[in-house]
Amino acid sequence: MAEKHGTRPDAPQLVLVGKSVERLDSVDKVLGKPIYTMDILPENCLYLKVVRSTHVHSLLKSVDVSKARNYPGVVQVITAADVPGINESTALLPDKPLLASDKVRFVGEPIAAIASYDPVIAEEAVDLVKIEYEDLRAVFSPLDAIESDAPKIHANGNIAKHLKLRKGNVEEGFKQADYVVEGTYKTQFQEPVPLEPEAGFVVPEPDGSVTCVGSMQSPFHVQTGIAKILSLPPQQVRVIQAATGGAFGPKSDEMPVDILGMAAIVALKTGKPTALAYTREESMIGHTKRHPFVIKLKAGVKKNGRLTAWEARLIADTGAYASLGPLVITRALFHATGPYEIPNVKSDSYCVYTNNTMAGSFRGFGGPQSHFAAESHVEEIAKRIGMDPLKFRRLNMLRPGCLTATSQLIDESCGLEECIEKVLEASDWHTKRNEYTKQTGTIRKGIGIAIMYHGNSLGPEGNDYVAVHMKIDKDGTIRFRTALTEYGTGATSGLLQIAAEVMHLPLRYFKLDPPDTDYCNDAGPTVASRTISVGGRASQMVAGKLHQRLKEIAARMLGCIVDEIESTNGSYYARERPEHSVSYLDVVKSAYEQGLELKVDDTFTAPKCEYDPETSQGTTYLQYTYGAVTAEVEVDTETGKVQVDKIVAAYDIGKAINPLSVEGQIEGGTVQGVGYGIMEELIHKDGVVLNPNLADYYVPTSMDVPEIKSILVEYPGHLGPYGAKVIGEPPIVLPAPAIVNAIDHAVGVRLSEIPATPDRVLLALKNMIAQPRS
Amino acid sequence: MYVPENLDDLLTYLERHQSGVQLIANGSDLINRMQRRQVNAQVLVDLSGLSEFNFVRKDKGKIRIGALTTIHDLISSPVLGSRYDVFRDVAAKFGGPSIVNVATVGGNICAASSAEDLIPVLLVLNAKVSLRSKKGERVITLKEFLRGKRQTALLQNEIMVETVFDELDEQSSCAFEKIGMRNSLIIAILNCSVYLKLDKRTKRVDDIRLALNRVFEKIPARAKKTEIAMRGKNLSMQLVETAITSLKSELQLSSDFRASKEYRHDVAPVLFKRALIKCAERLGEKLVV
Amino acid sequence: MSRHLLKFNVNGKDHALVVESHERLLDVLRDRLGLKGTKEGCSTGDCGICAVLMDGKLVNSCLVIAIQARNKKITTIEAIGTSEQLHPLQREFIKWNASQCGFCIPAMILASKNLLDHKPSPTDEEIKQATRGIICRCTGYHSMINAVRAAALEMKKQ
Repeated sequence: MAEKHGTRPDAPQLVLVGKSVERLDSVDKVLGKPIYTMDILPENCLYLKVVRSTHVHSLLKSVDVSKARNYPGVVQVITAADVPGINESTALLPDKPLLASDKVRFVGEPIAAIASYDPVIAEEAVDLVKIEYEDLRAVFSPLDAIESDAPKIHANGNIAKHLKLRKGNVEEGFKQADYVVEGTYKTQFQEPVPLEPEAGFVVPEPDGSVTCVGSMQSPFHVQTGIAKILSLPPQQVRVIQAATGGAFGPKSDEMPVDILGMAAIVALKTGKPTALAYTREESMIGHTKRHPFVIKLKAGVKKNGRLTAWEARLIADTGAYASLGPLVITRALFHATGPYEIPNVKSDSYCVYTNNTMAGSFRGFGGPQSHFAAESHVEEIAKRIGMDPLKFRRLNMLRPGCLTATSQLIDESCGLEECIEKVLEASDWHTKRNEYTKQTGTIRKGIGIAIMYHGNSLGPEGNDYVAVHMKIDKDGTIRFRTALTEYGTGATSGLLQIAAEVMHLPLRYFKLDPPDTDYCNDAGPTVASRTISVGGRASQMVAGKLHQRLKEIAARMLGCIVDEIESTNGSYYARERPEHSVSYLDVVKSAYEQGLELKVDDTFTAPKCEYDPETSQGTTYLQYTYGAVTAEVEVDTETGKVQVDKIVAAYDIGKAINPLSVEGQIEGGTVQGVGYGIMEELIHKDGVVLNPNLADYYVPTSMDVPEIKSILVEYPGHLGPYGAKVIGEPPIVLPAPAIVNAIDHAVGVRLSEIPATPDRVLLALKNMIAQPRS
Repeated sequence: MYVPENLDDLLTYLERHQSGVQLIANGSDLINRMQRRQVNAQVLVDLSGLSEFNFVRKDKGKIRIGALTTIHDLISSPVLGSRYDVFRDVAAKFGGPSIVNVATVGGNICAASSAEDLIPVLLVLNAKVSLRSKKGERVITLKEFLRGKRQTALLQNEIMVETVFDELDEQSSCAFEKIGMRNSLIIAILNCSVYLKLDKRTKRVDDIRLALNRVFEKIPARAKKTEIAMRGKNLSMQLVETAITSLKSELQLSSDFRASKEYRHDVAPVLFKRALIKCAERLGEKLVV
Repeated sequence: MSRHLLKFNVNGKDHALVVESHERLLDVLRDRLGLKGTKEGCSTGDCGICAVLMDGKLVNSCLVIAIQARNKKITTIEAIGTSEQLHPLQREFIKWNASQCGFCIPAMILASKNLLDHKPSPTDEEIKQATRGIICRCTGYHSMINAVRAAALEMKKQ
């Protein structure tokens, strides 16, 4: 179990929050109940198969579906011309069609969809669609695409977004420096691999509306998107999230809208329920993945180790369509310095189109890329000035009273230092750091460290609000409704834990209803790990109001005023006369008898983040999660293979609502981070994905996982309930830089590109032997 | 689909239908590469019921392994004691349990690609394959059987029924090494199998055979030049160095998205050396390199 | 495409179905018998999510052509535990938070049950080996290993 440290002595006595509690949705899952989209398809459903572009960047001269339409067993074929409303399916910028009409921009882009009661027939008919392409020049590297002579992928050019951060004066800062250290760092396309490939189905209702069911993260985003595609008012588009087998980001972007949009068009045309499920290959090619970045850093540092200036140029390959690329580069920009205080910063981030497949949301959202670069670079800086990298970090890191790169003041809710102390202790850092330098033999061990910060809440990414509805049934069941979705994190169970805490009632009284746009209000997307932080506040608020109502009723029953009422574990009594009480069920019964409403609907809106868009100076996030990770590796110097033996991870999570869930997020995120560091890469060649399958895209198996020790540090923040901070995303950020730093410690090579495959490591070793570093 | 009851049925069927037939063993990766349209066009012939071809036997100084022997049954066969740990070397890095349970020796051989780990092992064991048709039986070497990537010498009216190789003895041993990107579900970047016959008294290499999953084409093959360089000499560090030099010149490997050609060239000697050390260890010898 | 009579036993019940040549065991279980607990993750046998027990051996049901299951005994997740009485593995998976999104869970439970049936006191290494062909993307595997270890202890007590 994770250790916990740093809890404030004045924290209120909590009964449920802070306890490891079993999730409510696990029983169905361990029994293998039919709860996922493909388990609950309607009877006599049509199946869609998507016709995809085989060319990488072309004008579509013609799309002839006549043969496919006439193929026996084909019920319907749709193209862009069949979109009733706006032919658009996009996460942010209006740059992406649902079905390509005049142009295709990546291999695999949807052009048409074929419906049949027999999925085999639909698949066979794909070959009968005749498409005439007129090829255009294509571009595959964002460094090429950013040049003025590059082929234009979109009308407005290849830079989808350019953001700037300007703090202080870097020219002055470099003048003050004794050393200037430069470095370029590259990261790869990391494919999220949710184990359940995308799927959805649409049922056309008798009143002309549609019911859309699918694997997704954000029902209201889907509702808005489908309504626009169908040219229907949103109230006529009901969206229900089915149990979702993993998400990690892509299911919050375009995919659910793509899938349900195509299915809805066919469903309305045919009057029949229509389903679309992606194969793993379609999923890997079609959905969004982590942006590869090329990050150029230039740092100015004094002899005494203090950083004086930091210049960063971050170029992200967003693929053929931007998706949430502009927001990814925002987070990457704000975190481009790493968790350090630097008086002069000049950073530019670019979201660049190429003809590769789409990059968009994936756990970490720019944080992993920025931290890989920054946490590699600080080690190089430390080397240059002859200082221990840990000492260097301590000299420059953020502490209460420091200003971030966006000039945001770090307050006392900063547990970064304690995180570092805890991982050093638990990993036996000093002993190993010393011991491993004396090795001989082919297998060399190393230990490395990396530290981070992670801005909480949508911050600059959007309005941060969550609506929650709670209603008590006659039998006392408390129904909790929100459009925040569960897809593995356990966070929505956490919302109930909070409500139960507030209301002093047992957790088993609460029931979470499925996210359904007919019965919930908009809660924004389930992303950015906001379920507990922002959703938790909504839960606290609404539960608080409902609790008050129950107390009022109890007060009348007990003949006293509401301020005198106390409650404990389902029992209400007047403070002075505790022996005279009424039970929760008594209160509910009384309410029903009197026709009183036991229902509360409300929305919690997080304070808006205000900052100058030209300089990125101001309040960019409402609070920060901090973390430190050590990684111990073994490098086989003959084959270049890296084995990660142990990860020690400490996170300042403010308040762990459910430590068991928090640990689950840490372990899962850590293993994804290990994959990012040493084995995962979705490889494109001339726009074609070479490994769109799980044989050649390497997700860590049980035999690849390191020992993981999780440590929870609690410096309560001001945003989340009970001081909670986000934990969903941070754990994926640090393993890669910690591993790369450990490799450096083990064998003395600096890998500036990930993943650290055996090929890259061996090449670096060979180069080092050829040109030893001075 | 055609489901034969026994071998005779099968051979008769194959004699009659000499085209449009696709043989399927268990857990076949053919399902991966099969388009539904091909299923319609071709007739699948399910071999899984021919359980008489799941066997491991010792017979007059030879080991005979039925084509439908699963990897699981291979490594748990009492006939193959610790002397044949090379098969356990393969199984340990062969997919996961659900693959080991159904993949067959015959399936591995007939897939004829550099991803089939048993092939280099059987090549160094000088294995032969037995091919049966209605017309009779022919036995050819595994090398002759492998014609190219995913191409074998199997005629349309034939099936492979068993593979045969000479037993190992106290002077001979075999080992297998593989490198991939992770520790399970590994597709080899490169692998290597070595057979060593050592005169324990003189340390003379009476015979050495070495195969990699790629030598000069994208299928497994023996590195014959390197074998010649080692045969008859005394096993020593210098001999290994000589062998490595020869191996490096013998290999003509290529790059693909899994690894570069340079990497494969660098790692091949390492895998060879490690397999050789394991072979020596299995003979009770310690080879210090 | 041809049709064949498939006679086999699933979760203790005998079935006789007419199947088409291209149907996989996975399709028969899910679509013909309505047993949705076995999931499809990749269709190429590379993720282990579709694993079931066939004559007591773990196999990827997406790689088994339906007719190859003739005369065999198939065990799917539906045979393990009930809502009223969970199998110790299921109880421990819940307790240790070994199920997050749940998609790999049927396969993980079948693989670990199969392990415990043959090795009642497995080491952590043996647990990892037994599940090494099943990909989990959510948990990082540690909670699953904890759960199987705890279930083994529970089951020994019984």
